[in-house]
Amino acid sequence: MRKSALVLVAILATALVAVGAAGAKTGKSQTTVLNGAGSTFVSPLVSLWTPAIGTAFDYTVQYSAVGSGGGIQAITNRSVDFGASDAPLTTDQFTACNGCVQIPWALAGTAIDYNIPGLVVPKNTNLLLTGDLIAKIYMGQITKWDDAAIKAVNPKATIPSVSITPVYRTGNSGTSYNFTDYLSSVSSEWSSKLGRGQSVAWPAGTGASGSAGVAGAVSNTAGAIGYTDTAFAIANHLHFASIQNAAGKFINPSIRNIVAAGGTISSVPANGELHIVNPSKSYPTAYPIATYTYIILPLKTSNAPALRKMVFWALTQGQASKYTAKLWFAPIPKVVLVASEKALQGISS
Amino acid sequence: MEASAPPEILPRTRRPLDRVGEKVFYGLTAFAALLTLAIIAAIIWKVIDGAWPAIHTFGISFVWNQTWNPVTEMFGARVFIIGTLVTSFGALLLATPISIAIGLFLSELAPSAIKGPIGALIQMLAAVPSVVIGLWGIFVLGPFMLQHVEPPLHDYLGWIPIFGGTPQQAGVLPAIAVLTIMIIPITSSICRELFTSVPRDVKEASIGLGATRWEMIRGVVFPYVKAGIVAAITLGLGRALGEAIAVTQVIGNSLRDFPVSLFGQGNTLASQLAGSYQSAPTNIELESLVYLGLILLVITFITNLTAQRIVHRFEKQHAGAR
Amino acid sequence: MATPISLKATGRSKRRLAMNKAAEGGAILAALVAVGVLVLLVGSVFQKALPALNWDLFVKGQAVFGETGGGIAPAFVGTIMLVLIATAMAVPIGVLVALYVSEFASKQIASQTRLWLDVLNGFPSIVIGIFVFELLVQTKLPILGIGHHQSAWAGGFALAILMVPLIARTAMEVLALVPASLREASYALGVSKWRTVLSVVLPSALGGIVTGTTLAVARAAGETAPLLFTCSIFGQVVNTDPSNSVASVPVVIFEYSESPDKNLNAQAWAAAFVLITFVLLTTLLARLVLDRSRRKLGAAA
Repeated sequence: MRKSALVLVAILATALVAVGAAGAKTGKSQTTVLNGAGSTFVSPLVSLWTPAIGTAFDYTVQYSAVGSGGGIQAITNRSVDFGASDAPLTTDQFTACNGCVQIPWALAGTAIDYNIPGLVVPKNTNLLLTGDLIAKIYMGQITKWDDAAIKAVNPKATIPSVSITPVYRTGNSGTSYNFTDYLSSVSSEWSSKLGRGQSVAWPAGTGASGSAGVAGAVSNTAGAIGYTDTAFAIANHLHFASIQNAAGKFINPSIRNIVAAGGTISSVPANGELHIVNPSKSYPTAYPIATYTYIILPLKTSNAPALRKMVFWALTQGQASKYTAKLWFAPIPKVVLVASEKALQGISS
Repeated sequence: MEASAPPEILPRTRRPLDRVGEKVFYGLTAFAALLTLAIIAAIIWKVIDGAWPAIHTFGISFVWNQTWNPVTEMFGARVFIIGTLVTSFGALLLATPISIAIGLFLSELAPSAIKGPIGALIQMLAAVPSVVIGLWGIFVLGPFMLQHVEPPLHDYLGWIPIFGGTPQQAGVLPAIAVLTIMIIPITSSICRELFTSVPRDVKEASIGLGATRWEMIRGVVFPYVKAGIVAAITLGLGRALGEAIAVTQVIGNSLRDFPVSLFGQGNTLASQLAGSYQSAPTNIELESLVYLGLILLVITFITNLTAQRIVHRFEKQHAGAR
Repeated sequence: MATPISLKATGRSKRRLAMNKAAEGGAILAALVAVGVLVLLVGSVFQKALPALNWDLFVKGQAVFGETGGGIAPAFVGTIMLVLIATAMAVPIGVLVALYVSEFASKQIASQTRLWLDVLNGFPSIVIGIFVFELLVQTKLPILGIGHHQSAWAGGFALAILMVPLIARTAMEVLALVPASLREASYALGVSKWRTVLSVVLPSALGGIVTGTTLAVARAAGETAPLLFTCSIFGQVVNTDPSNSVASVPVVIFEYSESPDKNLNAQAWAAAFVLITFVLLTTLLARLVLDRSRRKLGAAA
């Protein structure tokens, strides 16, 4: 028995040494660590920024894509250095956050992904959808892809008779906020029955967690429709629909069309809150489900200098096409950039 | 066993250091025991404390209120309580006969050469982390059930409402299957110990009277260990009720009314917590989630306490009999 | 000559024998099903892990979004840290509680302590996650003023709460097996109680305590739920500072399992393979050693 005990002690000791060795090899104790949490929407972009920020300033950015709601909760508790959300803070949340500022730092579209085996659309086009159709699908009123209403807007497509499985985000999410914000602005029935929110009482469909989870569920489920930021749709080779905007055009979430949507902003209000879903018909190329996404910072924080540098980097160099283009993020327009930089000056230690 | 005290005749005061050491040693161990109790108390207190605003807002009707609507900030636990009970008891329904059978196999039937290895294998199943079972549930079990289990159930038994819906990959049935896999090692190993504990002479007497092995089991073994089996099942239930990760990976996490069909998507107390607790954007939602945690804690607490009581009684009874 | 009595069962006996056969068959089938599930599970983990099991998995961090390759080195380092922290907290407490029960407590208090340890063991691990979140992550711990963000300390603490009842219960069991004659011999030599415990009782129970700890480590290494709220904000590189949140193998499996990225799915399987191998081997080893030390102590008594 003694022997076996010794063996086990030896095993544990080896493990200890292994940790020590790993620590010695990789431990850079002097590095500033910036912890952030929130939006999964912006997480692909942050994942590209992180190594570059590490090179530029020797900061280690630890970002966890827990969802926008989680980001707001975490920064309100000050359990992270920064939060990230696609949904602007509500008045109550601003109060609860007790001295926070939200700064728009990225701009992208929410893609409506679908997985319809047997769908044939004319070359170089996508399935065409209107806001009203999407609302009816997510309310469970349209349950087959070959529904007459869908066929009517897709006269050139051959649509198989497949049941529709709407996929929504479980938990609280800024992407859900944008999506329901859009549906509320195009469908009065949605607006009155369900409303806009980071999580609503989804009347139909199946839940998945995170943008990644939704993309995963869409790619694994025949007949599924989902909403994710465009980066997830592209990275996972999902098809996404062209959505009819207020001008009556069917629009892709391409960078050009996101820029057009982002350009509908002429000034930034003091609280930083920007709404660009369903822009008016004077913007014929604007994608209707685009959004600014926000970083949320405490005005007083011991990490102020590092945070200011990191966010300034993200707002300037971070918008370069080598980071944004392949994820279909659009560079933020000048008017927003100027306002964001000004807001950033308010952060102090 | 009784701790034997050092005989008093010896001069215990011989070394003053010893007296101090004795006190310090006693103090340390007693402190550890108290600390453990304090942590249990703190867990209960913190959960009640965290849920308090939601308890204040929604009152006891939270328990049977069915809406969970973050937009209107109306929250209720019914969907999750039903989901927790349906999945756990569904798993129990499947796991109990299998566990008893495994226990019988290992105690009565198996040749001693394979008893050990098979017993160890089933024990190892208990050690597989739940996240791995969930991973397996997503990629192997779920698709398998969708293709080979749910369609026949639907085709032949579709007239029963619980098999009525459209088969889907994520849903209540895969959750029940995953929980069944998690309970079986627990209950079957207890069953095995119970069956082994039945005195040999009683069993032999029954065989000697001409009973077949099955009749011996039914007539002698089962009555002898009945209470113990109930305790084993209750312990398995406790495990199933609280499982969060593997369930949230396969159940679909729906906020709607719990489906009538087992193919539909549901949610449980623990899986809702795992999915939403970290991302709750408003205080009232967070507090309502902690309220769910409190309900879960109460349910598992009662379940486990019941199991302990039964075990205790069972042990006392049989200690007396032997 | 009388007709020989037939030993063949007929009528009622036949039915009884058939029933017996059916019941036995059912039991064998059930055991086979359980073993089959384990084989299937381990088999598919192994098969699906193979493509991603390479050196990169252990030495690299997560690849940037949309690219293949990369590994989960941060998770391996993080899990080792978390388990070490949890073990360092749980072993002393667990063993001391066991000593209290076996050496000092009255029968009544001993059975009460046992009961509450079992109650703690039965608490859902997700609730323990909530508790530690509310205690250490959401707010600062009063007086000490530590905490207020996710960290390896918080995650390790949550795992330690899970480990204490496991360690204490095994230790109690082994301590109870230490023969009274050993203690009495020590007392007869005039050795005081606490010295007896430290120099005679504990060493002879050491094997059992170590195995109990190993079992608890195996359990803690695979736990996800307590870490979700206490230690799940992490980046793509190895972090060795326990006051920051670290990645861990179970949390990474959980996250990657829901990813649409096939590359990450494969890494989840590979991580599951490493985890399952570790857990199964330690569990098996611990059980073997525990059985042996039990038998030895039992024989000595």
